[in-house]
Amino acid sequence: MKPIQVNFMVNGKNHQIVTAPNRTLLSVLREDLKLTGTKEGCGVGECGACAVIMNGEPVNSCLVLVGQADGSTITTIEGLSKNGQPHPLQKAFVEHGAVQCGFCTPGMIIASKALLDKNPDPSDEQVREALAGNICRCAGYTKIVEAVQAAAEESNHE
Amino acid sequence: MEEFEYLSPVNLPQLLQFLSSPGGRVIAGGTDLIPKLRSGALHVSSLIDISHVEELRFIREDAEWVRIGARTTYADVLESPILARYAPVLLQATRLVASPMARARGTIGGNIGNASPAGDSMPPLLVLEAEATLINPTGQRVLPLEELVIGPMKTLLAPDEIIHHVSFRKPPASRGFSFEKLGPRQGMTISIATAAAAIELNASQTISAARIALGAVAPTPLRCKTAEELLLGREPVEETWKLAVEAALKNMSPIDDVRASQEYRRKATGVLLERVLQSAADLAKRSADQ
Repeated sequence: MKPIQVNFMVNGKNHQIVTAPNRTLLSVLREDLKLTGTKEGCGVGECGACAVIMNGEPVNSCLVLVGQADGSTITTIEGLSKNGQPHPLQKAFVEHGAVQCGFCTPGMIIASKALLDKNPDPSDEQVREALAGNICRCAGYTKIVEAVQAAAEESNHE
Repeated sequence: MEEFEYLSPVNLPQLLQFLSSPGGRVIAGGTDLIPKLRSGALHVSSLIDISHVEELRFIREDAEWVRIGARTTYADVLESPILARYAPVLLQATRLVASPMARARGTIGGNIGNASPAGDSMPPLLVLEAEATLINPTGQRVLPLEELVIGPMKTLLAPDEIIHHVSFRKPPASRGFSFEKLGPRQGMTISIATAAAAIELNASQTISAARIALGAVAPTPLRCKTAEELLLGREPVEETWKLAVEAALKNMSPIDDVRASQEYRRKATGVLLERVLQSAADLAKRSADQ
């Protein structure tokens, strides 16, 4: 199997990777770049734990071949904080108890960020639609929606 | 994941060149293929990734036609003012496809080429009477969508051929369209059944044109021409819809699976079909009143 070369920008930093083509973006992020905040849950695009933002859209990184990410700009959960300060979404998730076991949280926050980037003032219904592909098995959706709304409000007041 | 050779054409000529050597499997968004590759359900010797072929990503209109490039994502569909104007029924279906993450990757060409009986873009495209333009290294051909898809996961695409775009004539403004999908929840749901309809009324408020398509209730998404013809000249009322449902049921051959039984699919499809016919007729009426 011929290795491929992939160039992409992750959290503002350029990377050039030479790797086997039968790997997912998720595995390269976790294993090569050591960005282990992005989780693998189901591995088939059902759970959303592997969400990253790629060229402005939320994607399941388990369903992106590494070659398909060539030339793209990617934001992972590690790219959200600024100057050591958590992102308003991260703060809101903590303050509103929107985290239980925490495994779904990076994906939830990434999908929420992708929503707020496009729609800074969503309705509850729109938040739920945006998170349709993210599963929390601790059953905390209400608090998650509250946290997203609180973060939206905070960002809009800034 | 098994090993494969990865080919990533950057433009159409290069893609056609890769298609001319045998054994390649085309991948676009990968929302369906990658789980199959990862589980071992699908074996490929080489993958031809069209996700960087920007020439296949477009939504265009001319005086008569609307064209959607095969590599257009569902997210692109939802943001298109052209489709919002000429194919709101496609947007209606697209909003209910999986999740924002799947919609950012999944493509219209992929949904058609994958040929799932439950592919949600198909019933809307069938009531728009869409056709697919296929290209191969030596030329191109055009097929109506209902001819292109011939069975579960089966199409008439030759091994060296891909869908370039789908196109449909701009429907008359007086034609109302509607779509309904049934599943256990709104998001992340493989359809148990879907229905799409288009209705046009004449000055005397009787039906002058009808299009009906169903999904997930036969080996392929279905266009129900017998039911369509039955509607012509009748009033847009419940008894008329019942006739259409009765005729459409004869076209259906639903299966029992983990999602629903045959019996449930039949009953549910009848309900969905009545609803889409009524709301398509309501829209047609409203456009006539304007």
